[in-house]
Amino acid sequence: MSNAATMRPGRPALPEWVRRLPEYLMIWVPLLLSAAHLVSFSLWTIWISFTPSTLVPVTGWVGLRNYSAVAASRNWQIAFDNLLLFGSAFVLLSAVTGLILAILLDQRIRGENVLRSIFLYPLAVSFVVTGTVWSWLLNPGLGIQKLVHDLGWTTFKFDWLIDRDMAIWTIVIAAIWQSSGFAMALFLAGLRSVDSDIIKAAQIDGAGPVRTYRRIILPSLWPITITVVVIQLQFAISTFDLVRALTNGGPGIATQLPALVVYDLMFQRSLLGRGAAAAVLMLLILLAVLLPYAAWRYIQRRRAAHA
Amino acid sequence: MPITTTRRRLLAGSAAALAFPHLARAQGAAKPRLTAISQWSAGSDGAAITALGKKFEEKGGVWQHSPVPGFTTEMMNKLRAQIMAGDPPACSQLKGPEIAAWSKIAPTVNLDALVAAAGYEKVVAPDLAKLHKPGGKWIALPLQIYSTNMLFLSKRAMDKAKADKVPVTWADFNDLAERMKTGGVAFPIANGGTRPDDGQKFEAALAGISPLAYRAAIMNLEKKALEGPEIKAAFVQVRKIADWMDPNVGAQHFSTNLKRFIDGDMGMMIMGGWAQGVLRNAGFKLEDFMIAPGPSDNGKPVFLLNADAFIFWQRKEPDLQAGQTLMAQLVMDPAIQTMYSQITGSIPVRTDVDLSGEGWSEGQRTTAKALKDAIASNQAVLSMAHNMAQENGMTAAMIDVITEYVKNKTIKPEQAAMRLAEAVEGAR
Repeated sequence: MSNAATMRPGRPALPEWVRRLPEYLMIWVPLLLSAAHLVSFSLWTIWISFTPSTLVPVTGWVGLRNYSAVAASRNWQIAFDNLLLFGSAFVLLSAVTGLILAILLDQRIRGENVLRSIFLYPLAVSFVVTGTVWSWLLNPGLGIQKLVHDLGWTTFKFDWLIDRDMAIWTIVIAAIWQSSGFAMALFLAGLRSVDSDIIKAAQIDGAGPVRTYRRIILPSLWPITITVVVIQLQFAISTFDLVRALTNGGPGIATQLPALVVYDLMFQRSLLGRGAAAAVLMLLILLAVLLPYAAWRYIQRRRAAHA
Repeated sequence: MPITTTRRRLLAGSAAALAFPHLARAQGAAKPRLTAISQWSAGSDGAAITALGKKFEEKGGVWQHSPVPGFTTEMMNKLRAQIMAGDPPACSQLKGPEIAAWSKIAPTVNLDALVAAAGYEKVVAPDLAKLHKPGGKWIALPLQIYSTNMLFLSKRAMDKAKADKVPVTWADFNDLAERMKTGGVAFPIANGGTRPDDGQKFEAALAGISPLAYRAAIMNLEKKALEGPEIKAAFVQVRKIADWMDPNVGAQHFSTNLKRFIDGDMGMMIMGGWAQGVLRNAGFKLEDFMIAPGPSDNGKPVFLLNADAFIFWQRKEPDLQAGQTLMAQLVMDPAIQTMYSQITGSIPVRTDVDLSGEGWSEGQRTTAKALKDAIASNQAVLSMAHNMAQENGMTAAMIDVITEYVKNKTIKPEQAAMRLAEAVEGAR
């Protein structure tokens, strides 16, 4: 059976947009679908947050009552304080750890590939697994504390997991273990992209390695640092599975985080309206991080275009 | 052969028509079929509902059970999705005040005729019956009962304390815990660290101190009772219990520590009757532990009720309607309740089932007797920790306060009592 395409004299005669149709279809259809999902469900959640919905979504208007109820609840207040502490400690410490690992790996050492895989490996592990494993390691009766006791140092104490003031730090530890490899990979790429001529020039001028790093290499890393910080921050804000497996918000409600509160309100307490309000508050926190970042990117691009 | 089948079906159909005229028209000769969802998928719960399904099939029905493993709330998510899609299961697991709450979002089946035909109302604890007939009509049927405040005593820990008497009041209980401590039991209280665990300690304490105060404060949410001295006294008792627990349990499940309990490293456990099934499943012997009703200061047993139930959702299909009728009859049947409870370790809802025979354990007999006595003295109350006293939102608000109090020893009992009253106000 003959078809139209083969009868045409040559393929180049096809118009540009027809030739690129498969590409457009492949990019735009999934993009539009996911955007529609994302946007429609976000709008839906925002709408629900203003309704008196409990077990199932219902219509109606309660104004900001859901928001004030969430904001006044002890759970949310604890979750918000925890987010501030966890977010800043985790982002700072994982960036520093990642940077140190990257600098050490950057010394053209042998076995770099193996080490890099090892440091990146935790990223491939699910957060639930990370949380569960660390909950064993950090449990004073099972993990590190018991090991040290069994080795003979019986006054050693490491019970953060069950100490309501320190428990949030166990989440910081596990999260850093999980994702500092990711920061390391980004920083390493940045280190490798520094122009070697500049480094050589510095060395000729008599700068030692410490000074070279401090004055030349690290300052050129700051765009990557911002990327790392933003990505880690949005991870910190949406942390759910890690806490759920590690402390489940405990001891008591000491390690609540916003995502846990949303889940709890929606599915455990069957208060859809309040859960949606908490989810919208989370979205606002995320926007507070992402909008300045987008603005910064925009300004950078404008500057680059003008230069 | 086909002729006999038809005749049998006709007979069954006309019998049903006599008993339930409102169903009969649609029913005709439809073969009963039941779509059901529950969280019971594994262990003794899974085995029990599978056995119930077998009975359903023996009676000529088609059993279509889709379990949703995990927490009850996950089963509820599936139920919610199905109801919103306009396709509810013919029957689903649901319990406590959630029955009333959910019955408002989708039409349910009126089971009054079936309940009357089985004479079920007479043999169900009154507080329990009320939960299953919101608006005065039976729409759900309780299936099995657990008490959430049973007291489990480790034989080896009792030996260490040189004690053989089961504590009756909280004073006895505290005394025994002290003796266990001095006798070398590392932690006189065995427990887990989950939210319901902490909630159970509180409800056991309050109901044991005063069932009247429990009913007023927790079940009826009376402001005066919530601010009363009994709440503070209950928190004082909870702190004592917390001080005897192993702080390392973190957020573990209670079953993690059962071996230490049996070994006598831990002495007493305040837990629901289901712990008996768990202990038995884990291979421990019945002579390694004792079961008694939880401490009660007036000496008469207090029973904190937790009951699993099925709710029936309205369906138009004649075969599903026939299935609902058959299922309801089975659930109320004493023989079926016996079979079910013997698998799960619970006790039957029917108070007229004889537990003296083969297949029942001493713990189940104790529990059943405690329920009978508690009903007689009006001390059978609904469990808060297991969502029987209040809807989920209110329960969660209360447990927030309790679980924080258990884990944070700087909170004073009077502070906790105040926070509890505030949390109730906030969640109303």
